[in-house]
Amino acid sequence: MAALDAGGDFAELFVEDKHNSHLNMISGRVETGTSGRDFGAGIRIFGGYNSVYAYTNHTDRDNLVKLAREAGAALAGAKGGKVQDLQVHSKANAHPISIYPESKDKRFRVGLMRQANETAMGFDPLIEQVRIRFIDENQKVLIANTEGVFAQDNRVRTRMSIEAIAARGSEKQSGFYGPGAHMGLEFYDKIDIREYAREAARSAVTMINAEPCPSGQFPVIIDNEFGGVIFHEACGHSLEATSVAKKTSVFADKLGERIASELVTAYDDGTIANAWGSANIDDEGTPTQRTLLIDKGILKGYMVDKLNGRRMDMPSTGSGRRQSYKFAPTSRMSNTFIDGGASTPQEIIENTEYGIYARYMGGGSVNPATGDFNFAVKEGYIVKDGKIQEPVRGATLIGRGSEILKKIDMVGNNLALGQGMCGSASGSIPANVGQPMIRVSEITVGGRKGK
Amino acid sequence: MMELAKFRDLVFARGRQAGFTDMEIFHQSSTNLSVTVYKGTVDKYNLADSGGYGFRGIFRDRVGYAYTEILDHDSVEMLVTEALENAQVIESEDLPIIFSGSDSYPEFDGYNPDLAQVTPEEKIELAKTMEAKAYALDSRVMVVNSCLVASGEDYVQIENNKGLNLSHRGNGAYCYLSVVVREGDDTKTFGRFATARDFADLDANGLAREAVAEATGLLGAATVDSGDYPVILRWEAATTLLKTFSGLFSAENVQENISLLKGKLGQQIATPAITIVDDPLLPQGLSSSPFDAEGVASRSKVVVDQGKLSTYLHNLKTAAKDGVESTGNAAKGSYKSNVVVAPTNMYIKPGSASLDDMAASLERGIIVVDLQGAHSGANPVSGDFSLGAFGYLVEKGKIVRPVNQITIAGNFISMLLDVEKVGNDLNFGLPTGSMIGSPSLLIKKLAVAGK
Repeated sequence: MAALDAGGDFAELFVEDKHNSHLNMISGRVETGTSGRDFGAGIRIFGGYNSVYAYTNHTDRDNLVKLAREAGAALAGAKGGKVQDLQVHSKANAHPISIYPESKDKRFRVGLMRQANETAMGFDPLIEQVRIRFIDENQKVLIANTEGVFAQDNRVRTRMSIEAIAARGSEKQSGFYGPGAHMGLEFYDKIDIREYAREAARSAVTMINAEPCPSGQFPVIIDNEFGGVIFHEACGHSLEATSVAKKTSVFADKLGERIASELVTAYDDGTIANAWGSANIDDEGTPTQRTLLIDKGILKGYMVDKLNGRRMDMPSTGSGRRQSYKFAPTSRMSNTFIDGGASTPQEIIENTEYGIYARYMGGGSVNPATGDFNFAVKEGYIVKDGKIQEPVRGATLIGRGSEILKKIDMVGNNLALGQGMCGSASGSIPANVGQPMIRVSEITVGGRKGK
Repeated sequence: MMELAKFRDLVFARGRQAGFTDMEIFHQSSTNLSVTVYKGTVDKYNLADSGGYGFRGIFRDRVGYAYTEILDHDSVEMLVTEALENAQVIESEDLPIIFSGSDSYPEFDGYNPDLAQVTPEEKIELAKTMEAKAYALDSRVMVVNSCLVASGEDYVQIENNKGLNLSHRGNGAYCYLSVVVREGDDTKTFGRFATARDFADLDANGLAREAVAEATGLLGAATVDSGDYPVILRWEAATTLLKTFSGLFSAENVQENISLLKGKLGQQIATPAITIVDDPLLPQGLSSSPFDAEGVASRSKVVVDQGKLSTYLHNLKTAAKDGVESTGNAAKGSYKSNVVVAPTNMYIKPGSASLDDMAASLERGIIVVDLQGAHSGANPVSGDFSLGAFGYLVEKGKIVRPVNQITIAGNFISMLLDVEKVGNDLNFGLPTGSMIGSPSLLIKKLAVAGK
């Protein structure tokens, strides 16, 4: 390959051809619709721990060879590498698709959006507006490298997000639900989108009636499914080789050590059939796998990509992901969750004298170097004497991942996954978060109401 | 790949056949080179060369969009059929407009030919200097976890069958440095960036000094007691809030009834010390341009004039609906996007107070350096925010210690009426298409949650 002529010991070609479709409906009317085709290629070359990445959508052979030489020249002086013969890797498709997006016209999608809209609008007179977004995509990737990998994957995904806005006077609160899967349009036969619409509307109406959240340090119960965003932010990012390799993560060099309460077992699993964050192979051509991250509180593994794996002297865990050919891949999460425990949700609530119950979480962020995280509670309640009391709004949870993990003192038995888009160094990618209901003995809760 | 002119002719001919009356192609291409240095070697070297073509067409008063990144015969057919299908499901009652052009356009030169001559070696050198400086400044600098120098060029061309043909070329350079400092078990991190159109204006040493000073200054940070405090939002934090809530000024949001500024034109929405400007021709703006995404001539405008709301931001559609002129705020995130309304370069005009003056006036208060999690902890509709924050505690006019693990909560609209002093230190946040900027602001009081 031209890429290794000047320098470098490994080269990789990533080619992507992707079809996207987006529709937006506001209060029952389709306001915008877009579709399109992304097409381009990325060339990556390693020289030891260093890497060069070049991408283009001028993908004719001459331009790619020119780009490869230019990119390789940046590693001039690095020791050369051998080129292995390409071996076609064909892994059985673990994520079968039955209704490809292109087989249905836009009216089919609009029909589903209308169902969701009518359900949410009809839920309560306080619902003033419903915003629905329908996306589907069909991404074909081809990955070839000088180690002989020649792999292809076809990722079909769809998601419908429903935002219901409740209003009273000038005050507005929103409720959100956004189910999605690595699936074709058969996804909507498997779920009843109206249930999600109703839930988004219920949440918005609940929150318009909520008082400001008190602030201070409390026990916090975080419900299952998207509640797993706490683990994703507070811990998951710090277990990505992206921050572990350069030892900027609080969890670097901690394999085999206790980093969490013994109730915590956690996985990253890119193999779950048709799950939002799944794929057959990662964006470096490595088959995805189920990686044990934490076993009963003991750190067992990281999410590793090829380049950072070199620095860490660890094999890839099939975690090299990227938004598109416009990004060099790096280690990312796929479907990442705290595994189910022994307590029933009812037991957890009943055992809490005073605290906050976060039924739905919003998003959040973390600084992987310090572990400081923050995230928003979208629907929260006061818990008093073992009972869920009045709803509270505007709560933000802050803390340090390494401390929170040790303070998880109850883990429920109702594991579920929720869908999100995770933004980081290699772009915005679909990722599932997940957990059963958990209780953290103490988190700093920020709200607008004083103590 | 075929030439754009030929492609345009084929698309417009095929589009006319399909029943489109008005049609437009929005072309955008960019090249970028970025180098990342890690411990004295070039760790990452990225080259980008890409672009795409967004098509929109009006069919029976409805607009349909589609895009491609590849100019071939398949794409001609795909653009037209997909855009048609999208147009046919649109139910918006707003009449779409494809624009024939403004009477005249301002001069704006956003391209510095000297910058294009800067070699990769010079960028690598600058990055190495910046990294070395950071390590040399303080022995507590454990690692420089990000050290990047980049430059890029952008080209935009809008061509339609109403006679519009506009193009604009711009370039810019930027650098970013983030350091992790450690003292005992305490780890802190801080990042700084700079943008410029003249390579010599990138002050690597200054950036390293600021990042290291801030990160080490934050060592030993602890929380504070919960309560209401006077708060100085340093320019970074003030910019984060203005950016988060800039959508309140969008006429699109006002018309959809999701802006609290609805019905407030001409009213006092902020203290008289606050003047907010939107200037698409800001000289240092990396996305400054003589025309907006619909081809409307750019002009600077005062959005809030000494506290009074003087205009919303409009594109052609929202302006027609309100019976006013477009303010030239049509925006497209990229060729993939639909036309929306967005600020261009929006900033709060600086006042006269220095940061020290503001601190000196406080008996007890907090300087907030920056806010975290604005994408989740702030509600752009209600104006409510509750965000993770860090900074310094001020007592008797002097900084006494660093503060972290707190949240700051309030409402953006009521906060604008509580601004007591406006600083003289206007700066702009990380450019993301728009550049948003603010000086430091002294706020009478905000709710702080700590312990």
